[in-house]
Parts: sequence; C-alpha cells; structure tokens
Amino acid sequence: MATFQIKQGRDIKLKGAAPKEIVALSLPRQVAVVPADFKGLKAGLCVKVNDAVKTGTPLFEDKHCPGIKVVSPVSGRVAAINRGEKRFLEDIVVESDGRNEAVTFRKFPASEISGLSKEDVEKSLLQSGLWPVLRQRPFSKVAHPREPPKSIFVHAMNTEPLAPDVDFILQGKEEQFQAGLNALRRLTKGKVYLCVRHGAQSKALTQARGVETHYFAGPHPAGNVSTHIHYLDPIRKGDHVWYVEAQDVARIGSLFLEGVYPPERVVAVTGEGAGRRFYAKTIVGAPVSLLLKGSGLAGMRCVSGSVLAGREVGKNGYLSFYDSQLTAIPEGGKRVLLGWLSPGFDKYTFSRTFVSSFLPEKKEVSLTTDKQGSDRAIVLNHIYDSLVPLDIMVYFLLKAVIGGDIEEAEKLGILECDEEDFALCSFACPSKTDVGGIIREGLELIEREG
Amino acid sequence: MQFLEEQLKKVGQLFAKGKPFEKFYPLYEALDTFLLTPGKTAAKAPFVRDAVDMKRVMIFVVLALIPATLMGIYNTGYQIEIAKGLTHSFWGAVEAGAWKVIPIILVSYAAGGFWEVLFAVARKHEINEGFLVTGILFALTLPPSIPLWQVAVGISFGVVFGKEIFGGTGMNVFNPALTARAFVFFAYPAQISGSTVWVAVDGYTRATPLAVAAATPKGHAVVQALADAGYNFQNMFFGFIPGSLGETSALACLLGLAFLLITGVASWRVTLACVLGLLTMSSGFYLMQGPGRLAFFGLPPYWHLVMGGFAFGAVFMATDPVSAAATNAGRWIYGFLIGILVVLIRVVNPAYPEGVMLSILFMNAFAPLIDYFMVENHMKRRLQPKKLG
Repeated sequence: MATFQIKQGRDIKLKGAAPKEIVALSLPRQVAVVPADFKGLKAGLCVKVNDAVKTGTPLFEDKHCPGIKVVSPVSGRVAAINRGEKRFLEDIVVESDGRNEAVTFRKFPASEISGLSKEDVEKSLLQSGLWPVLRQRPFSKVAHPREPPKSIFVHAMNTEPLAPDVDFILQGKEEQFQAGLNALRRLTKGKVYLCVRHGAQSKALTQARGVETHYFAGPHPAGNVSTHIHYLDPIRKGDHVWYVEAQDVARIGSLFLEGVYPPERVVAVTGEGAGRRFYAKTIVGAPVSLLLKGSGLAGMRCVSGSVLAGREVGKNGYLSFYDSQLTAIPEGGKRVLLGWLSPGFDKYTFSRTFVSSFLPEKKEVSLTTDKQGSDRAIVLNHIYDSLVPLDIMVYFLLKAVIGGDIEEAEKLGILECDEEDFALCSFACPSKTDVGGIIREGLELIEREG
Repeated sequence: MQFLEEQLKKVGQLFAKGKPFEKFYPLYEALDTFLLTPGKTAAKAPFVRDAVDMKRVMIFVVLALIPATLMGIYNTGYQIEIAKGLTHSFWGAVEAGAWKVIPIILVSYAAGGFWEVLFAVARKHEINEGFLVTGILFALTLPPSIPLWQVAVGISFGVVFGKEIFGGTGMNVFNPALTARAFVFFAYPAQISGSTVWVAVDGYTRATPLAVAAATPKGHAVVQALADAGYNFQNMFFGFIPGSLGETSALACLLGLAFLLITGVASWRVTLACVLGLLTMSSGFYLMQGPGRLAFFGLPPYWHLVMGGFAFGAVFMATDPVSAAATNAGRWIYGFLIGILVVLIRVVNPAYPEGVMLSILFMNAFAPLIDYFMVENHMKRRLQPKKLG
C-alpha cells in the first residue's frame, strides 16, 4: 500500500457538480446499446427488430472472439437497429416492457467465489454478457480472454472535471464489491490493484481484501487508469493489463451472488446545463432525455462522460456503456471583437496571458464549448509535459506519430497511453492541437500493423 | 458587433468553396479572426478549451518587443543628432528616428507578409501569426542605414528559405528572422558591417563597441579603449550607442524578457543558459589575460552581456521554441553553447566582430542533434525496470 502524490496536471474546477444525493429513476422506456462503445469488438447481431428479449439476452456477439457478448439491460423487445453509412451499426434500441424478466445464470454463495477456477469465472462473465466491463491496455479495448493480463487494475477514483465520486457511489455496496474483487483475482496470476483517491472513506474501498490498495493524490489526471498503471505496473511491449471500473466490480459481484445480469448504474448528472444535478440510479444505456428530464437543453452540449474525455451524445442520445457521468454545458461560438487583445479578467486559462491568471483562482469556473482560437501549427512545445504525469516526452511522441514512426512511438511509450491522458494538453494548447486524437491515431496504426 | 459579424459573413461568402476568391480564403480567415474571435466550438473532446490561442501568444511576443522598438526609434534619431552635431531634443530624436525605423519595419512586414500569404494560399492553410514576430524581429536586427530594398530581399529570403521550404511554421530548422539577417549580412556586407553603417548619416563613421574592443592593440586596456571611443558600461546598458535598431539597449531587452517570463511565453531555461555560457567563456578569457594576449581578454566578463546583440539574441532569438532544442536538458546545452560561441567569435575570431547571429544559427542546426541524444537517453531509461514509489 502506498500513496502517490501526482504533481503534473491540473484540476479544472467546472461549475455544476452533482450534490451527493442518489435519486432512483424510473425504468427508462427505451435503452440503447451502442456497439462503438466496445472498442475492439466486431458486432455480429444476435437479434432482429421486434424480437422479444430479456435482461441478459445477447444483442450481439463479437465476430473475432465468439463468446464475448453484449446483452440487453432490460426486458422487452428490440425496437430498432439503426445503421449509418456503409451499414455501420450505430445502435440497438430496446423498448422496455417494465417487467424486468431476466435470464438466469449460475449463482454462488459469497464464500465460494474465492475458490472458483479461472475458467468458471470467465464462463460466468462471458455467458452473462458482463465480460465487456473488462478492458485491456494497451489500446483500451474489450479484454480478450485468451490474452491473460499481468495484472488487473480496479479504477476506483476519477479526477475528471465534475467526475462522480466513486467513494460515494460504492457506499452500501461493500458485499458486492468484495465479491467482485474475489472473482477478479481468479482471472490473473498477477496482482489486482485497487486504485483509490487519497482520503477515500467508504468501507468498500478502505477495507477491500485480497487486493493491493494504492492511494493517489494530486490534480487530474491522478485518477486516470494510465497514471495508476504507470506507477504500479508499467506496460512494456507485449504486456497486457486489464482494468475495470469500480462500479462494474460491484456489478460483477452482483452477478455471482444473484445469478442475473445486473444492469444498474449510478450516474452523476453534472454541468451548468443540467437543470437538476444529482446522482441518478438508473441502468446502463439509459437515454439522455431521462437523465436530463426537466432541463432546458436548447443551446447545450450533452456529453456522456466528462468534458475532457467524454463523447458527445446529443439530446436524444444514450449514455455510453462505460460512463457513469453525464455533463451538459452551454454551447460556445459567440464572436468577440478583437478578442486577442482583451485583458481577460474572467478568462479561464492555464497560461499567464490574461489578467485573470494573476487573480486568485476562482472556486468554480464556467466554460462553454468554445474552441477559443483557430487551429495552428504547434509552436509552444514546452507546455505539454507539465500536464502529463507519465514518463512521456509528449512533443516527441506526437512527432513520431505524425511521422508514422511506429517503432519510435513505442519506444517513447505510446503503449502506456490512452487518448484521455492528453486531454489537458489539447485543452491548454494555444495551437488547439488535438493531442489526444494524434495519440489515438498512433495507437490505431500500431494495432493495425503491429 | 452584430453588424460587423454579418458584414464579415457576407464578405466571407465570396471566399467560400467554389466562389471567385476561394483561393484567397486564408487572407479572409486572417482578417475575419483578427477582428472577431473565431467562434468555433470544439467538435471533439476535450469540449472545453483554454482561452489562450496562437494569436494571443504571438501578440505577446510582439508586445515584448515594444521597448526595444521604441528605444530603437529614439536612439536612431539621437545618434543622428550627435552625428550632425544638432542640439538634443527628445521629440526631435523620436521624429528623426521614426522616419528611419518605421519604413524598415513596414517594408519587412509588407515583403514578408506577401510571401506568407502566397504560401498560405498555395498550401491552403491559414496564415500563421508567427510572421508578426518574424517581421519585426528581422527589422530590429538591421542597421538604421540599411537600404529598404535589402530589407525586402532579406525578409523574403528568411521567410521562404528559412521557413517555408521546411514546410512552414513549426517545421523550420533555423530561426527565419536570423536566416534573413544572415542572408543580408553575407550578401551585402558593405551595408551591414564595418563602421559606417550604424548611424543613419552618410559618411559618418563610428565603430561599434565590439569593433573597438577587437581592434584594441595588445598590451592596452580594453576598457580604456572603449572609454576613449565613448563607450562605457552604462551607455551600453541603456543603449545610447550606435548599433542595430533594436539591439543596442540591454535594458529594453530586459524589459521584454521580464514580460515574456511573467506571461510564461518564453522558456527561461534557454535565456539563462545563454547568459551562463557567455559568462563562463568570457570569465575564462578574463582569467587568461596578460601581456601578449589579445586586449579583448581583459574585458570584464559581464560587459559582454550588454555589448552587441547578445541581450536581444538571448531573449528573442535563441528562445524561438521551434528552432531551439525542445527537451529541457537540451535547452540547457543549446543555450549554454550559444553563450560560449558568442564570446569565442567575438574575442578570438578576427573575421566577425559579432557572433550572436552566427552562434544561434549554428546551434539551431545542432538543436535536433542535441534533442536526438536526449530522446535516445529517455528511451533507454524507459526500458529500465521502474522502481515502485
């Protein structure tokens, strides 16, 4: 057990945090499963429109690795299968019948989980459709059962702007969480690391057994999976590490204890644009309209996840499979006369080029989606490294990727990284460079060719 | 505001795809985003962005150059007054200086801007604000008597061969302003070196402090020789001496440096390393002084800081992030070697009285190599097993 004090990075204290109250929402009438959420899977449909499904009925199965299934989180019927360009599968919408009928799987007494074989645990997770909660690094894709991990990281803290407090969410779920950890331990010969915010209170986290608990303090991205892996068990070429969200560990526990697919998810509804901010107890794939019911959403951007690393989902969209946060912020785009000349008393910046940089830091800042500049070539190459706590020379890694030099990029440590780790770089870059996007392209190139 | 936005939109339609002025879209974009902030929103994560942009950064470098520019204007006029034996008046000096300096700056911007726009149009990318810096940097490195056509030729060379042939902003190996300066220096030595060009009065001759120091015969005290020529530490620090437009005043450069450091736009490492390198080398010479050695050896080391273009180069030229080393350790080496080379060229090289331009260009060429070793080192270290904690 150790505490890591992260120095690089910055917290963006955005306005619109969710107060700590959990509100149970009614069962959504429609939910959607978005295949693009499951990186690395090639979806082969298991259902047709109008098919009746139960909670836990497979909707699609991976074509590369049959056995990895994604299942329906509600019972009802398949209302729509939407395809985009080139028949790209956009989403599978399931209409709930409100009956909550579930496919049943094998269940185990709590005391037996630790004694299960690796195969039993794998089988349960794959059959029930909960397997995709396990993801692997490098490449942040759904874990592959035949590429065993050298260790598993439980992601039990989040430092993104307005991020949900994992510590709070897990309160009362001690039993499921521990059961989930016990199951995870069967999946690796290495260690299971539980990465927790320094100062966490919940018993689920502080009294977890059978895992190595480590504490991380400091600014974002202290809570990123890459940061944890980097400090505890860094990835080198050929390594596989798995990671899983803490809430999903509790879901794994529920699956083993109760024998049904557990669709529950607590989601923090955040951001200035959200009329009502709270922790919503709902299910995976819940529609944005349900979570933001009652908010006037004109001129708002709805993001599944945080403003730094999330995905725009639109007002009629659905929460991503892995996200436990929904953020709504005002759209930008207002044009200001001679903006580059303004003293900037109320501008938010990491740089020191506005008057506000020299005023006491505000407790909360209000930001819009405004890009606040045009795309330019990278000139200031010294600003990135202070925002990334990994041992990475960001500028040189970018150059290697842009030049298509895979070997160099690997030597510079790209396999340790994910797009989200560079969100602060993209945020702060005066040239408005999509740093994370370049890293993603590099990773995709390596995955294709490597 | 609303009106302006609508008008710009209307004009902008002429530059849209398939419209008559499509090719000149970069020009429109430059004007449009100069007047009003771009108003674009972030399409991908992160969905919020920092308020700073490249315009702001580049404008800040230009702001940092204002003290040097104003000082250049005043001092150019002041030197004319001295040369012509006129009685000194502040506004008189400013006016006389302005007539010399402002045309140089305007020509530099106009000629350089032409190429910048041409390449932006041909390459279909936006006009980079970096040119606002290059244009004035180059002007400030010139002697006040420079013919304007040479300004135009010089900046054209700098922009095209110093920057654009490498792929444009962010890709250049050499500092474009210095490339321009070097071109003029080697192409038209008569107008940019010697002792007749530093005051904008025909036929007036006055050697610069560095030339005086280099010409001091062996066995003589160099400080005395400088004093005899009218130079002391104080007037070199303030910059009331003949020289290139923006470079004479170390004080003006210090003000610029302070501004750049407070706003965090420039890397302090490079400037500090330049100063340390310069002091190290000049102290070495100072300790070796003696009979039979060059008189220049005996110059107090810190005098080098205020002489010639060192302050200007170390603050504004060496710090250009694109042509400097981009690793932190590399920045130290890069700056330190610049400082060493400056003194080496000044003191023991008989061909060039000043070494700042050449040292920085030389180290620009070596910056990628320095970075290469630093990055190799980093990659090797990454392969070592990491200790926990």
